[in-house]
Amino acid sequence: MIGALVRNETRKTLKRLATWVTLGFFTFVLVMSFGGEYFDARREPDETFALPSAWSEILGEQSFVGLVFGSVLLVLLISSEFSWRTARQNVIDGLTKEQWFVGKTLLLPALAILFVGVQVVIGGGFALAGTDLSATSEPLMGGLQWKAIGGLLLAWMALGSMGVAAAMATRSPGPAMAVWFSYVALGENLLRAGLSQLGEWIEPALRFLPFALARTLTVYQRWQLPAEGPIEEMASRVAVVDTGTLVLANLAWIAFFLLVSFLWFRRRDL
Amino acid sequence: MTTESVIETYDLAKHFRKIRAVDGISFRVEPGQIFGFLGPNGSGKTTTIGMLLGIITPTAGSFSLFGGRSEHASEIHAARQRIGATLESPNFYPYLSGRDNLRIVANVKGKTEKDIDHVLAVVGLSRRQKTRFKAFSLGMKQRLALAATILGDPELVILDEPANGLDPEGMREIRHIIAELSELGKTIFLSSHLLGEVERTCTHVAIIKEGKIVRQASVKEITSETTIAGLRGGESPETLKHFMEVYPGAVSARVEEDTVIVELADADLSTLNRFVADRGVYLSHLALRQRTLEDVFMEATGGGEGGMGEIAEIA
Repeated sequence: MIGALVRNETRKTLKRLATWVTLGFFTFVLVMSFGGEYFDARREPDETFALPSAWSEILGEQSFVGLVFGSVLLVLLISSEFSWRTARQNVIDGLTKEQWFVGKTLLLPALAILFVGVQVVIGGGFALAGTDLSATSEPLMGGLQWKAIGGLLLAWMALGSMGVAAAMATRSPGPAMAVWFSYVALGENLLRAGLSQLGEWIEPALRFLPFALARTLTVYQRWQLPAEGPIEEMASRVAVVDTGTLVLANLAWIAFFLLVSFLWFRRRDL
Repeated sequence: MTTESVIETYDLAKHFRKIRAVDGISFRVEPGQIFGFLGPNGSGKTTTIGMLLGIITPTAGSFSLFGGRSEHASEIHAARQRIGATLESPNFYPYLSGRDNLRIVANVKGKTEKDIDHVLAVVGLSRRQKTRFKAFSLGMKQRLALAATILGDPELVILDEPANGLDPEGMREIRHIIAELSELGKTIFLSSHLLGEVERTCTHVAIIKEGKIVRQASVKEITSETTIAGLRGGESPETLKHFMEVYPGAVSARVEEDTVIVELADADLSTLNRFVADRGVYLSHLALRQRTLEDVFMEATGGGEGGMGEIAEIA
């Protein structure tokens, strides 16, 4: 059945105009951004946009834009299944609710790989074009970059799982996007401000709010720790410094949002 | 030894807060039947079908499909693989073509491109298979829904208002397809408000009103119980109606314009004629017709008086 789910989700995603519009716009933003860096470096002798140093920009905090684009697409792909009543028809056609949910969950890693892949290829491509290969002794890509890519994928999955929950709760594209955007743009900050009124004792827990944790994964420099950066300085910029804790906490939030989504989906009539 | 039912419900109920959408219904559908499930809008038809198909969770009661009990998830899931169904309006991906939409269904049901070709031909959509669903007319959408329903070669076909939006030719084709499916030994569960279509198509019916089954029998049985007669004569229809109310062979009598409509337990018109003549009334008009499903439906649901429709005048 997994094969059938993969084929169906692939067909539905690739044939949808929204997929190509989102991906096209994301590509345009990347080309403008990294292309600008590349041409600036060619014009200004002091500027460089070459591998491997350019990875800090390619895989850095600006990759958050990709997370937003991708999550919007994910929310749209899932919530419209309810407004079109195709989720109901899929179950009538023979899928169990569990199988339907698994099909949607497969979109999370698939879209994460697609969006992060586009980012790496376009950013890496421009940086490679600006690299004097004969003058570079360092490897163009190594363990550090793979860790950062892994972090990006995990951040993507974390924000995406929040999108899945918003889509399952509202079952409508507009409200689902509104809920997701509201939380990411404002909701968590308000929540943090509200909870911090409870006292200092809660401050350590507030570092583990889902959006802050996911965003920490996009800070490229944190993957250089402890070898290349002072931990104290990093601690002021990110929610959680320890990699193991950070990864586990993000995985826990992903599991939580997917579990809640599934329970909502299973409990309610279609 | 009794045969295994295809569908059987046991006090099945669904409540939406204080509303009893389905209020403890029990019915049984046997293999090979074309079972009409009738009821006014909001009577609980779609909710009942939704429970059978697993998209609505019952509040109380249970049901079985092909002997698999609803309490056992694996049994009921296996049984549902033997069902093809469409509920309410056709639900497909608007941006996908007719064929791509069927590919989605075929993947779930483990069917091939050849099977898709076959069902497209059956419903007459082969030439429009590449058109996007959102560009389909309502009639084409209904045909596509029917194609998706029969794609898995199901043993039980559940159709909810399949003739909605179809022109008379389309309705005739749907009737033809249903008859063909029945000849192939499929069991058909048909929900429709087109009573004439149901009467022509179905072998058995159940009528649901306000969440309760109010009538269940074979179409033959239900329509041959009584005969309807239209009478005119005497000074006023009210006087004639009064006589008919005391006529031993009359089940009911009512006035429709200048005609008295009488439901008769048998078609013995000479006795009826003599009965009114003995009371000084001579009939100027006596027409007789078979009781229709519409008459039964109207009586059962209290949906108003049935018209005389296609009365065949015999006197």
